[in-house]
Amino acid sequence: MEKIIVCIKGVPEPGSVKVDPKTHTLKRESMELILNPNDRSALEMAVRLKNEYNMEIVAISMGPPNVIPLLKHAYALGIDQMVLLSDRAFAGSDTLATSYVLAEAIKKLSPFSLILMGLKSIDGETAQVPSETASLLGIPSLTNVKSLFMEDNKWIAIREIKYGEEEVEVEGPLVCSVLPTAFDYIRPPSLKRLLEVKNKEPMVWQASDLNLDSQRLGLNGSPTQVVEVIEKKIETKGVILEGEPEELVEKLIEVLKEKRLIKN
Amino acid sequence: MIKYSFSEEQKILIDLVTQIGEEYIKPYALKWDEEEIFDEKPIKALADADLFGIIIPKEYGGLGWGNFEMCLAVEKLSYYCAGVTTTYAASFLGSYPFILFGNEEQMKKYLPEIAKGKNLCAFALTEPQAGSDAFAIKTTAEKDGNFYILNGMKQWITNGGIADIYIVIAVTDPSKGARGASAFIVEKNDPGFSVGKKEKKLGLRASVTTELFFNDCKIPKNRLLAREGMGFIVALRTLDFGRCGVGAQALGIAQAAMEVSLKHATSRIQFGQPIYNFQAVSHTFAEMAIKIEAARALVYNAAKYVDSGAKDITGISSIVKCFTSDIAMWVTERAIQMMGGFGYMRDYPVQKYFRDAKCLQIYEGTNEIQRNVIARELVKHYR
Amino acid sequence: MLERVKIENLSKGNILAFGEFYKNELNNSSLEILSPLKEVAQALNKKLILLFLIGSLEDIKNLEEIKRSIADEVWFVINNELKDFKDDLYTEVLIQIVKSSQPYGLFFPATKIGMSLTPRVAGALKVGLCAHVNYLEVKDNQIVMSRPTYGENIIAKLVSKSSPVMATISLGAFNIKYGEKEPLMKEIIFPENFSWSSKLKIRNFIPSKKKPTKLSTAKVVVSGGRGLKNKETFQKLFELAEILGAEVGATRPVCYEGWVEEEKMIGVSGVTVKPKVYIGFGISGALQHTVGMENSEFIIAVNTDKEAPLVKMANLALIGDAKKILELLLKKLKN
Repeated sequence: MEKIIVCIKGVPEPGSVKVDPKTHTLKRESMELILNPNDRSALEMAVRLKNEYNMEIVAISMGPPNVIPLLKHAYALGIDQMVLLSDRAFAGSDTLATSYVLAEAIKKLSPFSLILMGLKSIDGETAQVPSETASLLGIPSLTNVKSLFMEDNKWIAIREIKYGEEEVEVEGPLVCSVLPTAFDYIRPPSLKRLLEVKNKEPMVWQASDLNLDSQRLGLNGSPTQVVEVIEKKIETKGVILEGEPEELVEKLIEVLKEKRLIKN
Repeated sequence: MIKYSFSEEQKILIDLVTQIGEEYIKPYALKWDEEEIFDEKPIKALADADLFGIIIPKEYGGLGWGNFEMCLAVEKLSYYCAGVTTTYAASFLGSYPFILFGNEEQMKKYLPEIAKGKNLCAFALTEPQAGSDAFAIKTTAEKDGNFYILNGMKQWITNGGIADIYIVIAVTDPSKGARGASAFIVEKNDPGFSVGKKEKKLGLRASVTTELFFNDCKIPKNRLLAREGMGFIVALRTLDFGRCGVGAQALGIAQAAMEVSLKHATSRIQFGQPIYNFQAVSHTFAEMAIKIEAARALVYNAAKYVDSGAKDITGISSIVKCFTSDIAMWVTERAIQMMGGFGYMRDYPVQKYFRDAKCLQIYEGTNEIQRNVIARELVKHYR
Repeated sequence: MLERVKIENLSKGNILAFGEFYKNELNNSSLEILSPLKEVAQALNKKLILLFLIGSLEDIKNLEEIKRSIADEVWFVINNELKDFKDDLYTEVLIQIVKSSQPYGLFFPATKIGMSLTPRVAGALKVGLCAHVNYLEVKDNQIVMSRPTYGENIIAKLVSKSSPVMATISLGAFNIKYGEKEPLMKEIIFPENFSWSSKLKIRNFIPSKKKPTKLSTAKVVVSGGRGLKNKETFQKLFELAEILGAEVGATRPVCYEGWVEEEKMIGVSGVTVKPKVYIGFGISGALQHTVGMENSEFIIAVNTDKEAPLVKMANLALIGDAKKILELLLKKLKN
């Protein structure tokens, strides 16, 4: 059976963000993590492809053990195998170091015909990891993919670019980052699978399981480094008005007239 | 307020329904109600979540759970939208006839698709001249070799047109009165079957209610459930099993109405203080809580009684249906009052709860009929 | 008309800026990023090169624009296979150029194409890559790049320990500047045996039906955040925009909630705006958003929280429920 690999990420629940004051990287191990919202469409695409082409899905997540519930959630959505990449040595990795770990884990799962990821995480927002991982694996990548199907053993992807949509034909394996708006319906978890996964645990791979080069991991293996931080001090500069909505709106209209945005 | 201790499985169920409510229902419920729209997305979500299979035995693709778990799901779902719940819960009325009376072949054919939520169900008993007087149905089913030919019409049928499977009660032998009816499985594509106009309703507006027509509707004879003459037994037994579900639905609505209005009462400032500080207001909420807690204890206990395999569930399930739908009506009406003008505006959900709750006193046997049943069962019990 | 230079003879140690072409149309963001890079190049005493990968020279529609750019040189790689954007082939071409010309820095606009391509190049070169940089400077002879960090009201300054220094630069963060001197134009000649093949075959293209957003150049911006409570209320901003002749913008959480498409996002990973008047409804002003609008000429904030950063930044702040005020404002303006 052909294999789809989906990479998912745990991101902080908005409002529960904790940052290491020294490195200015997120302290993921001590936060409530939720599934990166953009990864939902990647999982949905994987499950739809599984049902269409009878494929097997492996979900990988790199992070502290508190991402395990997210892997279990992915299982309840329909993925078949869970892999957790977890090692203290991974902490503080930038996109290059992260992509390196993912690429090596993916190699260990060979053969595979497709790798899906969300377009970007809502915390780092770099959108780099999908293409960077593909690059390290030496396979093609497409970003902003909104639809994907097979034709004569080739993948046909519709990707969005600024100017419109392109239909791209490519032989697998490849990496696609999935457009967050690709689907107008994304399934909830299945009750049966939630009950099933209660007693399942993901496979856990550490740096040593993947024979990784320790020079390329974590904060030290990350070429981009924070050298300085500046706190933005904001001082009150204008007029602050309080009052009943009626009065405030009167004032607003007055200013809009002054600025000639509306006629007198 | 009792914090019920649920099993781990039941907690997973409640969490899942909550998740579906928050994501697939809550943001749209007022719009569906306002525009009287049936949206299939929440139904698809419930199907993908396996929630149509709660009471269906495992060997037919369900979860093999009971009436109690059905009530937990229905209660939580109704908290978000009783209209969507109506569409969903009709499938229980469609599943029970198979589970209680179906033969192996029928269960194998129909239950797995119902459990997956691929096939929605409808339960068709009521007719224009046969409402509370169910025995007055006029729809006939005439045997013709290996087939039955159905003729007549059904009225106010939940899921008419969107359901794939219809449990239809029709007269097979007019000379036998109440023992002359039979229950049939009708599929949406059967020849001679058609659906009338969509009714315009006061509440439960996210659900679809229509008439059904049978014009020489020809179905194979293996569509007969149980035996000829068992029609009303199938129907009444199914309704016995379904009534705790109506209770759970009422509970969900009442709970939502109380929460929304309580939030208002504790934050709305009049005369320099939250209106909750006034006893006329706070006592009303105390009364709501008393009724809701009592109703919940009743629903949960009755559902567990049903699951215990007890035979005499008719009386208690009628008590559940009556009591909870009456308190839901009372709570939602008071919730509007506690919110004053806000409660009356269609921007806020309490008026919807009020309109939705009203139907629960009427459908699946009016509360007047339920009281007849309770009275009848009472003298049997204390004979 | 172009000087033809073999790839092995390219000058070394420059700052390279990727110029984006699609269907022969220049993307203006390629010219925006030259503005900060020019200053960086001058401070480091390096040349600034604008690099284009194109199908053929004849089809270029904005050659005049390119001639007015502040780049010192413009390099073209011309091959029919480059007329479509193919991630893998473009990467291969850029890697060859980096290997031969050993640039000091390599920068891309944070467009969809830029963001697809840059990580592939960085991955292949195994170098660091900064995303959505909105400020660049030179300190101790190295390039320091700035962007807000997640979850803090803090600007992080980053360096890359690897070479070349690579980053994508935020859209709209810089104004286009024009030079007085026409840059030298060169065509890079690749070796005969270079393979122009790609695993990607572009089978079809459907142009976008959506009107491109004019947010980055808008004179008036009305923007909304979570304080507007729901999607329906957010949609009312479009009515207001219609009346004021404005464009609608949004904060990140609102885009992720699905109230409006991501093209409307103002801030780090979205668009930078510099309108004459900016009105923010129900926006508290996280740094992720404010870096994208802080240079607006006149800022109006509507928010319940007196201590919110945007309220403090504003020239005029109205303390109240954004939803109510927006609805009331619309009602009055329509009468």
